[in-house]
Amino acid sequence: MKLLPAGLGLAFLLAAMAAVPQFADEYIVGVALSLAMWIALTESWVLLSGLTGYVSLGHVVFYGIGSYVGVLVWQQVPMWQMIALAGLSSGLFALVVGYPVLRVRGPYFVMLTFGIAELVKFVVIDIEAQLGEFSRLVLGGPSVTDLYYVMLGMAAAAVVLTYAVGRSRAGYALRAIRENEEAAETVGVPVARYKLAVFALSAVIPGMVGAVMAVRSSYFEPSQAFDPVISFTIVTMAIIGGSDNARGPLVGSAFLVILSELLWDRAPQMYMILLGLLLIAFVLFAPGGVTAWRLPRFGGARR
Amino acid sequence: MQIIFSTQLLFAALVIGSIYVLVAVGLNMVYGTMRLLNIAHGEMVMAGAYTSYWLFTLAGVSPLLSMLVAAVLCAGFGALLYRGLFRRLLNDSKFLARLEGNSLLLFFGISIVLQNVAALLFQPTPRGYQYLDGVIQVADASITENNLLALVVALVLCGAIVLFLRFHIYGLAIKALIQHRQGAMVVGIDVERIQLLSFCIGFGTAGLAGSLLSMMQQITPFMGFPFTIASFVVVILGGLGNLLGGMAAGVLLGVLETYGVALTSPSLRSVLIYGVFILVLLVRPQGLLGGRRLAR
Repeated sequence: MKLLPAGLGLAFLLAAMAAVPQFADEYIVGVALSLAMWIALTESWVLLSGLTGYVSLGHVVFYGIGSYVGVLVWQQVPMWQMIALAGLSSGLFALVVGYPVLRVRGPYFVMLTFGIAELVKFVVIDIEAQLGEFSRLVLGGPSVTDLYYVMLGMAAAAVVLTYAVGRSRAGYALRAIRENEEAAETVGVPVARYKLAVFALSAVIPGMVGAVMAVRSSYFEPSQAFDPVISFTIVTMAIIGGSDNARGPLVGSAFLVILSELLWDRAPQMYMILLGLLLIAFVLFAPGGVTAWRLPRFGGARR
Repeated sequence: MQIIFSTQLLFAALVIGSIYVLVAVGLNMVYGTMRLLNIAHGEMVMAGAYTSYWLFTLAGVSPLLSMLVAAVLCAGFGALLYRGLFRRLLNDSKFLARLEGNSLLLFFGISIVLQNVAALLFQPTPRGYQYLDGVIQVADASITENNLLALVVALVLCGAIVLFLRFHIYGLAIKALIQHRQGAMVVGIDVERIQLLSFCIGFGTAGLAGSLLSMMQQITPFMGFPFTIASFVVVILGGLGNLLGGMAAGVLLGVLETYGVALTSPSLRSVLIYGVFILVLLVRPQGLLGGRRLAR
């Protein structure tokens, strides 16, 4: 992929999405908002799991922490500070847990991330119950259109971040970790530092997204903010689209958001069943995802 | 403090511990023989529970009988899954290169599908039925009959599995496969047949455990996942592929959970289970009670 056409394509996509509120009604803007949200989340996931091969099945934990921190400071600080705080807290959490967690590899890492997300969920549920709060209202937020522009900005930032890291020297180091961690370490990649850095980096945007989504849904309820279905959807989107580059999540998110609009309200269980079947089908038949279909299978495209 | 030393609590710990052992044995067998990480394992518990629930409420069949039906149904599903999917995959070198990771994602998909099929068919609301819910006094403890029954059945079954693995030719073959795959092939063990058997026993025992559970607590389409997590704790504590270590670990987890909740509060049950799970993974992913270090 050449830099210029890719940049042009992205700029065009961004312009098209930015124009949505000009001609569409509030419902469509809501759909575009959730598309932007999934792009931001899935791109952040690819930054970690796509590049390093450390598959996170608990990325919702960053989203949930961002939501919770955002709700706690809501209307005590201006909104941009709330979003920044949310992102910082998630990043900080990733830095703290990252050191021990990233020493665990392969399938054990996958289960560990899931376990951590559930643990934090139950801890937050317990804290809220102790405080006597069962769901908090988040009222007085800006309009859907304004939130949409904020979310679009974060989605764009996530795409650019994943794209930039993927093409950088660090990106190649991360892929080297994915292919063979011992070999990468032997040739001088500072493995532990890179893993920790990318883990924290992949947590910041989901944290900010979580805060914005709490405002958007106008309430906070821990079992929804930490819903494992969110992690599952992120992974499925990335695997359907392809997770070795920044384009995959765009394709995967768009596809699943449309599917969810068609099915979620009428038949949520059918939607989940379809999601499960898609995941199975892609792992079995197209582990590189849609964006790897026309490329020859060398090096990069996998998972 | 009195409650900590009561027979009541010890009994409760043993009941839940024996269920954990029963569920985890299947997970361990499937992982030990094939390196497949079955995170859809808890869904077999759920399937077994619904089998007993429906047979009891629609036809009045006793769970003692329907647990056999549940075991056969789940074993059949396991056989189907092995024959239809995993037999082929286990011979595919590209899939084998990332066997554990890929199997995890596949079973994750299977788990989501099963949960939602059940939610679609049976409604997501919790259900329950009453069977043998009389109370017996033993020393200072009031014990519900169905709890006692579940404990006895689980113990008998665990004993049977231990004997099977120790003395039956197929049991020995399963252990051989767990210890050394190539070695087992060299001495002429029919690996495919043993793998099929592991799938059947693994899924069947989980289904049976679900039947036992349905007598004691309410069931939902999403009840399985905590058992998957508990099984992983048990298997990792006891050592992956180490079936006897798993039995000790199952009882240990039951004791930890019951006494931990009694000492703190019931709302901390999930925090406790996931806390132990994370700790175990962080400290020793290869198992606490020894066992070989497996290729990761």
